[in-house]
Amino acid sequence: MPERAPERSASGGAALPGGAKRDPILVADGLRRAFSGIRAVDVDHLEIARGAVTAIIGPNGAGKTTLFNLLSGFDRPDAGTWSLDGKRLNGLPAHRISRLGMVRTFQLTRVLARLTVLENVAVAAPGQSGERLDRALLRRRWRDQERQVRARARTLLQRFGIDHMADQPADALSGGQRKLLEMARALMTQPRLIMFDEPTAGVNPALTQSLLGHVRKLQAEGLTIVFIEHDMDVVMGISDWVVVMAQGRILAEGPPADIVAHAGVIEAYLGRAHGLEKGGATESEASRD
Amino acid sequence: MEFDVILGNAGRAGLGPQAAIFALLVIGLNLHFGYTGLLNFGQVAFMLVAAYGTAITVATWGGSLWLGIPFGLGLCVVLALVLGLPTLRLRKEYFAITTLAAAEILRLLVRSSPATEITGGPFGLQAIAGSFYALNPIAEGRYGIGTFSYTANQLWVMIVAWVLVALAAALVFLLIRSPWGRVIRAIREDEDAAASLGKNVVGYKLQALAIGGVIGGLAGVVNALQQSGVGSESFGSQVTFMAYVVLIMGGVATTAGPIVAAVLFWFLREGVDSFLRQLSEEAWLPDLLADFLYDAGGAVSIALAGIALILLLKSRPEGIFGKRREGAADA
Ligand SMILES: Nc1ncnc2c1ncn2[C@@H]1O[C@H](COP(=O)(O)OP(=O)(O)OP(=O)(O)O)[C@@H](O)[C@H]1O
Ligand SMILES: [Mg+2]
Repeated sequence: MPERAPERSASGGAALPGGAKRDPILVADGLRRAFSGIRAVDVDHLEIARGAVTAIIGPNGAGKTTLFNLLSGFDRPDAGTWSLDGKRLNGLPAHRISRLGMVRTFQLTRVLARLTVLENVAVAAPGQSGERLDRALLRRRWRDQERQVRARARTLLQRFGIDHMADQPADALSGGQRKLLEMARALMTQPRLIMFDEPTAGVNPALTQSLLGHVRKLQAEGLTIVFIEHDMDVVMGISDWVVVMAQGRILAEGPPADIVAHAGVIEAYLGRAHGLEKGGATESEASRD
Repeated sequence: MEFDVILGNAGRAGLGPQAAIFALLVIGLNLHFGYTGLLNFGQVAFMLVAAYGTAITVATWGGSLWLGIPFGLGLCVVLALVLGLPTLRLRKEYFAITTLAAAEILRLLVRSSPATEITGGPFGLQAIAGSFYALNPIAEGRYGIGTFSYTANQLWVMIVAWVLVALAAALVFLLIRSPWGRVIRAIREDEDAAASLGKNVVGYKLQALAIGGVIGGLAGVVNALQQSGVGSESFGSQVTFMAYVVLIMGGVATTAGPIVAAVLFWFLREGVDSFLRQLSEEAWLPDLLADFLYDAGGAVSIALAGIALILLLKSRPEGIFGKRREGAADA
């Protein structure tokens, strides 16, 4: 994995939005999305460096989740293009984008409640021939692959420390365990890029540390990680690069230390960005759900 | 009061073709609602389309019954696509309303006068099942004891119908235990999550809709064979709602639930009906009440069945067979 050099050194300290990365895996241009006139996302240019851990921060309603929704095909932009490893993703449905290797989790966990924990992970395996109607009826046409899928699912559950729950319905998991399950499930798709929407929200400090440990290991395995986070300690702890959003726009980006040093960013993060943005602030505040 | 007569009537209905028709209808609906989470309020439309497709082929076009049946079932696949393609990517409610409306429209369409030349309009179509009964290997006569008995032809339909029930139940069972089944259950739980894992949600929903629709279509075919004809009055939307009652009674997302519940439902319904009919003939009953029971017996028996269902669901919310975990499918 030669390209996995953290961007910390590579891009210097310039906290300017839309900077070029040496080896971007994801590139977005002119992405816009408005909800009844209120712009939720308005990103001129964004590059995500391959192999890096990129944090997206910003106040509530900044458009972080909407950006994820657009990139992952769960929402359609009003304008803009984006591509993964040069492959244009415009107009592709969410499941196709996932199959191309970009998988996302949800801000509010979405476990498959009445499937077992093991089934939750197993279902995510790509290319299962038994998922095709013409193969499904005859067990011997998918038995071997299913055995491998289950073994892999178990390994992932072990890795995330929830294998003792494997045969329980996912309903029985605690909030933190659900976050772990979503991570395991996302990994099961064998992605190149994972997008976590607030992985540590509502998770106790001990579990947060373990989640962060997992993120680091994923990076070490060559994955690119983008995550939305409110907790600055977490952001400082594991990210190589920080993107600051407010009112749909990218306000600044750079290595975490520089971002913290950048006073305006902190203000924006604390929701006092009115002075920085040219207008729109009050409007956007009013639009918040 | 002759209890052997009541019991005989109830038993005949519980094992009879009507119960098998319901079992088929409900097995299909279970695949839609119980396993895929599709709120199909127009299951009777699949029954109608298959029954009319079969009957029109034979009675109107003079074709063979053995062409008519696959034609009718093929129409079920077409109906699934027509209903599903525009609505399955929208919110669940749109699909629910569309299916309900489509079922009513189809029923009004086949019974309308302009359609008389093809569908028989209000008169329906008759004498379509000759070649089916010609194959009946059972000797003429009446089989059974007392009122619990069937003619040779009834017995022949019954056997075929229950074999179809067994095959349909086996098909759904095999599909559900496969990775395909895991995907549609995942879609039932959370279709966004399923999509995020690379599953083509609309595609799977269409497949489930078509398969469950064809199974519902088999109910229509058996209905047409049993009556040796079709009439629009068999396909009111109350049939779909009764199918939901049976499904919930037996236990959503179970294999045996739809079958056992269909038998129980028809047993109870006919039993209560028969009991009320006899009650209305009792001399000690005031005339007014007797007349009421005589006239409204059907409605009363359905109301009583409803009460029985409520009592059952109070003690077992997941139905007769349901596991608590997967039982109460959310609407
Ligand atoms: N489906 C929607 N319909 C209407 N408005 C929406 C919708 N989704 C998001 N918005 C609006 O778009 C803006 C951005 O919302 P988004 O959820 O992307 O913010 P966020 O940065 O993820 O916030 P949080 O930190 O609270 O999760 C908000 O003003 C929000 O109210
Ligand atoms: Mg959000």
